[in-house]
Amino acid sequence: MEMKKLLNDSKKLASQYTTWVTFVGLLLLLSVLTKGNALRWNSIRNLLIAESVRSFAALGVGMIIITKGIDLSIGYVVCLTASVAASFAQNPDYASAIYAGQSFPLIVPVVAAVAAGGLFGLFNGYLIAYGKLPPFIATLGSMSIAKGLQLIYTKAAVVGSLNQNFKNISQGSVGPIPNLIIYVIIAAFIVWVVLKHTRQGTHFYAIGGNAQAARVSGINVERDLMMVYTYAGILYGIAGTLLASRLGLANSLTANGMELDAIAAVTVGGVSQSGGVGSVSGMMVGVFTMGLINYGMSFLGVDSYYQQLVKGFIIIVAVYFDMKKYARRS
Amino acid sequence: MNAESKEERGSHMESTFALEMESITKVFPGVRALDGVTFRVKPGTVHALMGENGAGKSTLMKCLFGIYKEDEGTIKLNGEVHHFKDSHDALQNGVSMIHQELSNVPERSVAQNIYLGREPLKKTGLIDHKRMNEDAKELLKRLEMDIKPDCRIGSLSISMQQTCEIAKAVSYNSRVVVMDEPTSSLTDNEVAHLFKIIRQLKAHNVAVIYISHKMEEIFAIADEVSVMRDGKMIGTYPIADLTNDKLISLMVGREANLRFPTVKSSIGEELLRVENLTSLNPRSFKDISFSLRRGEILGIGGLVGAQRTELMEAIFGVRDTSAGKIFIKGVEISDIKPRKAIEHGLGMITEDRRGSGIFPLLDISTNTSIASLKEYLSKIGLLKHKQLKEEAAKYNEALKTKTPTMETMIQNLSGGNQQKVIISRWLMTLPDILIMDEPTRGIDVGAKYEIYQIMGQLVEQGKAIIMVSSEMPELIGMSNRVMVLCSGRCTGILDKQQCSQEAIMRLATQFM
Repeated sequence: MEMKKLLNDSKKLASQYTTWVTFVGLLLLLSVLTKGNALRWNSIRNLLIAESVRSFAALGVGMIIITKGIDLSIGYVVCLTASVAASFAQNPDYASAIYAGQSFPLIVPVVAAVAAGGLFGLFNGYLIAYGKLPPFIATLGSMSIAKGLQLIYTKAAVVGSLNQNFKNISQGSVGPIPNLIIYVIIAAFIVWVVLKHTRQGTHFYAIGGNAQAARVSGINVERDLMMVYTYAGILYGIAGTLLASRLGLANSLTANGMELDAIAAVTVGGVSQSGGVGSVSGMMVGVFTMGLINYGMSFLGVDSYYQQLVKGFIIIVAVYFDMKKYARRS
Repeated sequence: MNAESKEERGSHMESTFALEMESITKVFPGVRALDGVTFRVKPGTVHALMGENGAGKSTLMKCLFGIYKEDEGTIKLNGEVHHFKDSHDALQNGVSMIHQELSNVPERSVAQNIYLGREPLKKTGLIDHKRMNEDAKELLKRLEMDIKPDCRIGSLSISMQQTCEIAKAVSYNSRVVVMDEPTSSLTDNEVAHLFKIIRQLKAHNVAVIYISHKMEEIFAIADEVSVMRDGKMIGTYPIADLTNDKLISLMVGREANLRFPTVKSSIGEELLRVENLTSLNPRSFKDISFSLRRGEILGIGGLVGAQRTELMEAIFGVRDTSAGKIFIKGVEISDIKPRKAIEHGLGMITEDRRGSGIFPLLDISTNTSIASLKEYLSKIGLLKHKQLKEEAAKYNEALKTKTPTMETMIQNLSGGNQQKVIISRWLMTLPDILIMDEPTRGIDVGAKYEIYQIMGQLVEQGKAIIMVSSEMPELIGMSNRVMVLCSGRCTGILDKQQCSQEAIMRLATQFM
């Protein structure tokens, strides 16, 4: 009995910090393998920039998974919002611009993209909370809708020739720190406040942990579910804006597959698919762990085909342990 | 072929019993669920297994079907010792169970359901549908069941579906068939049909174990009755030796071996009034009226299926009603939802602690404060964590919740301590009325007494409690009045003087 308890406790402790241990372990491994070369500030900076946009998607879907939901529409919603943002930031003298000859204040692309993302989130949330659709199916449908809208809106063309002001949103920096990293820190902070310090955040955990008990405890489960998808949508809108700004264009391939990257990252970061478990720090460590794996393999010259393979295994292993950890004891 | 040879073997056996369960003991943490229970069933008889809720009937059956592993004792089938791995293994060996809930595949045909998992095959390895339908037809005809083998099973009435399950049991050549409350969702005509089939099973020398609370049915169909109480076998009696009253006293006859705290509360003004409340579900409760006053504990008694929990959920706004009014402190509350109920001073401790009580992976502190977060917000709408934690800790200390820390996940606590956390949750909302559905279920004796003490203190403070309970001594020991439900209707409200186990049991079985 005593031994079992001790074993359980130490297991729990280890599993609590698995994500951190993995991250630090990988970092050390990489620095040894590259004799420290991979860990120069420049390299790290590039890694952070590369992962910044994904962080927004991860924060959004992380909150959703805490409520025991899922969102498959991320990639195409980000693609759509990136295209929307880009369309309002094209140089007015660019002949094939969507709104050729017109120029908009810098705020327009940002607000338009965030609104588009938020509306998509609201749509998802409404279907799931009030329409009682399974999240998997609702977001599978809206994924296709987002893709269709993007193709219709851009007529399947590249939305390019973006103005410099718009590009500066993401390409600038404050001293040595790139803007993108500052945005990520702000977003993570806000999500952390929502999850840890607001009533609604606590409700998200409760709903994911036991929706029926949440309802009995007086929580408006439907409204809170609708809101979590809306918040996520807003984050996807920001992700789209930043992506368009960073790349200087948007097309139908932008952000493809981001849903898998984001879901994988937060899962590796300890957000449980069984709901009710997860933290902002975990989500962020998850994102950077996945980034580190990508970056490390590229740095070591591993063929990109193998990178896919390794990533797949990592996701499966992470979820396997997650499921074991929270499997209901009967 | 195999089945036939087995039957032959069976008939040559010496044993006079189809099934013998000898000295079965099963201990759960804190509870001796079965205590040396011996249960023997003769072939070709209907053997009723009776007892109050929680007497150990289902635990005994779960041991038979290998769902639980008994700690001590042996199970013999036709004199041979057997231990089944699971219900499939039992079925293969001629022991089957007709469940309270149907467990068929509604979209498939009757024949497909009967031969599920052992479909006759053609030489090519494909399913021989023709033979399957013919076999099923033959089987149904033999049992005088008027059902077409190729119709979709989900399109049949519930009693017909049940009949198909019985046919399936027969097709496995079952020697022992267990029926757990088989008539709970049947009409009178359907019950008559079921009895006809049971008599046929008897004629085929099958032993039928019949679990039911319904007295009338027992006297109509059973040959022998075994009565269980508190995990012990009280005895086995031929039906001719029993009367309705004798059977009831055998079932409830225990001394009130639990002590209850003396509660000195003064009864005050009316806090809750329910008028003609009727469920949206026509099979559930109908036309329930009662009132609850300050300082009072109103017990709700009845058997499983009496719709007590459904009624409580409707009052708390979890379930919809089609008619009736709810007044809290004289104000009518229309379209009640849990949020509204909480605002008006109601709290509800649900029956299913795991399903609708605890948030298993959240800590004690959050589990306690989750229903009161609104009262602990700063000016800018952020949670006052420190105050929340302190308050949550205060309530848990007052109830003596045993936990290493307030940050421990609630799933790591014992049932009794989880229950205290849930009670703390509701006390923190400062309620006037507390609904407690089976407040001591799955809790060991010591913790039970503590829960009773807490209940006593609450009504002494001027709160009112509605307590649903399946334990007679608890109902009688704790309640000022007891309302008894039977099949969704109120069959009486007993005050303290009238309250006895026999009186409650009589009202609880009034329509049966």
